[in-house]
Amino acid sequence: MVEKTLKCTSLKVDISDVDLKPGPFTMSFNFNLEPLKASIDKFGVLNPPYLLKNSDSTFSVVAGYRRLLAARELGWPDIYCQIVPDTFPPLKALLLNLNDNLIHRQLNNIEKGMILKRLTRFLKEEEIVSDFVPTLGIPANKPTLRLFLALEELEESIRISVARERLSLRVAGLMLGIGRDDRLRINDLFTSLKFSFSRQWEITQWIMEIAKREGLSISEVIDKGDIIEILNNDRINNPQKVKLIVEILKSKRFPSLLEAERLFRQGLSNLRLPSGVKIIPPPFFEGIDYRLEIVFTKGEGLKEILAGLSHLSGLERVTDFWKGIGHR
Amino acid sequence: MKKFKLRRILIERGAEDDTLAKKMLKGLPDIPREAVEPDDLAQREDIEGMDKETLRIIHFNGEFLKPCPGTRGYICCGYQILNIGINCPMECSYCFLQSYINQPSLRLFTNLEDRLNVIGKIIDSSPDRIFRIGTGEFTDSLCLDYLTGWTDLLLPFFSRRRNCVLELKTKSASIEFLIKSSYRKGIVIAWSLNTPRIIANEEQGTADLKSRILAARECQKAGFVLGFHFDPLIHYPGWAEDSEETVGLLERYIDPGYIVWMSVGSFRYVPDLKWTVKRRFPGTDIFDGEFVPGLDGKFRYFKPIRVEMYTKLSERLRKWYDDLGLYLCMESDDVWTQSLGWSPRNSTNLTNYLDNRARKLMAN
Repeated sequence: MVEKTLKCTSLKVDISDVDLKPGPFTMSFNFNLEPLKASIDKFGVLNPPYLLKNSDSTFSVVAGYRRLLAARELGWPDIYCQIVPDTFPPLKALLLNLNDNLIHRQLNNIEKGMILKRLTRFLKEEEIVSDFVPTLGIPANKPTLRLFLALEELEESIRISVARERLSLRVAGLMLGIGRDDRLRINDLFTSLKFSFSRQWEITQWIMEIAKREGLSISEVIDKGDIIEILNNDRINNPQKVKLIVEILKSKRFPSLLEAERLFRQGLSNLRLPSGVKIIPPPFFEGIDYRLEIVFTKGEGLKEILAGLSHLSGLERVTDFWKGIGHR
Repeated sequence: MKKFKLRRILIERGAEDDTLAKKMLKGLPDIPREAVEPDDLAQREDIEGMDKETLRIIHFNGEFLKPCPGTRGYICCGYQILNIGINCPMECSYCFLQSYINQPSLRLFTNLEDRLNVIGKIIDSSPDRIFRIGTGEFTDSLCLDYLTGWTDLLLPFFSRRRNCVLELKTKSASIEFLIKSSYRKGIVIAWSLNTPRIIANEEQGTADLKSRILAARECQKAGFVLGFHFDPLIHYPGWAEDSEETVGLLERYIDPGYIVWMSVGSFRYVPDLKWTVKRRFPGTDIFDGEFVPGLDGKFRYFKPIRVEMYTKLSERLRKWYDDLGLYLCMESDDVWTQSLGWSPRNSTNLTNYLDNRARKLMAN
């Protein structure tokens, strides 16, 4: 039988002797230490941290990084720790910490990226994809692994947005392909107002495509007068701001489509359809089938509406209202 | 003649004795080769690069002749695809193969000759039907001819049949072997055309516009009937003026009386393709236009943009010659009517229209 028990030495360690910079085995990012501090203050450290003794007699953290930070902030001078053997292999130390984390908390996406990045020091991409990526609840393929590995390249404010799930991971991936200032500007936009992840994805593409087409930087697209005006307008709430910004960007990205939609709406409004009647064009005007929707409560009412519609002047041109638009 | 760079050859077990395999290997004595099993396939994530410098020689057990799948909700032309290989050494940013293929490398089917009999039986068993067959759907019909000798094999086989037309579609100027062939009847040599800007920026490794048209002229002089395909049209400021340059060159060098058909289609793509293209060709401009989801789920230019492009181009082409056999590729009835002033209404009628043009071609 394989010996699986880790033989450690229990030792009271001065916290000042522990290197508390994020080390090669740590995997914590953007955490709130207060609940842990409160718990430790009340009940003490239930599971001792694991440390590795360095040649200069200081210690590196294997597991328990946050516990050590909390104890230090509580003013503890020392703490009981488990000291792993000097010969303990680094990969094992990393896996020890990974398992310790996996059993008692949810890792955010930045932390998952940190773990995977640390694993690349020891393992091939294929092994990481097959053996570790699924454990972290990530789709097991190389492009996704590479996306997680690249997250470390992003600025801290963006990583914080990803960790707090205020910025979509997919959008963060898209941001890797653009300049620092531009991605910080997009991050600001998405975190100052609440955009759903699907909206973030759509809008990021639009902004990038508008910028490319018009020879502007992404920041220039966002900071153009009309969007800034909305952002600075105190009389409208955040959901209204999001809606208006989406409309502005959509009209810039799809000017012909938006013009067609406007003309169609205008045509309908000139028709003066009876109340309860709607005419719905095909999606994106691509098909040829329009829908008529009538809300009625009695058959007599329906007959009246239909009779009114049959005499409505201009109805025969309803499918042409949007045609003949100019486009850029 | 342009030769493409190859860095290795993979020979699938079962293909090594095929005549075409032997011929290709003989022509590539210095390229490292390796025997592989047919089920020794690439991982999904390694496909995106397409590995166009690896030639994989395959004894293909699938169907060689298949109808073009067309697309839901649009009028299709009833074309038949002769599947001689998949992937192409050229690099067109818009190429649908980037999201279509499930294996990388240039995959050429070396048992083509053996399977021609089966294809012959299919064609001969429907003598009243016209088969319009092309090899240019999943690869370029001519750019690898120096290596495969496809024209040597295919021209005699199809040329002697009375109810089929073989269309060889290319973006190359590789006509040296083709020209030497003595077969003309039932053979159409077709070029995909675009504006000089799109060719330069989005069609790497292809022949430039003038070289294509000069190659077409040579083929025409040598007695071949021609086809042209303006597909995919890509909308950008100035595209119409740039198209004028393309049509102008046709006008200058080509006799329109011997063109059997000319198709026009605009750029369309399945959603996944966009991200693959953006990764492979970060500088591409092909997604700058206004695309909306089509009836088949593919993205297409917003309809008025398509209509404007088709109208302008078709008017200009008709000014050159009014019997070019113009048709739209994968378009709807209303777009046909608005752009060309008529519509076949459905795929059957478009098939008949093109079959009749093919019949006329074979009668001459």
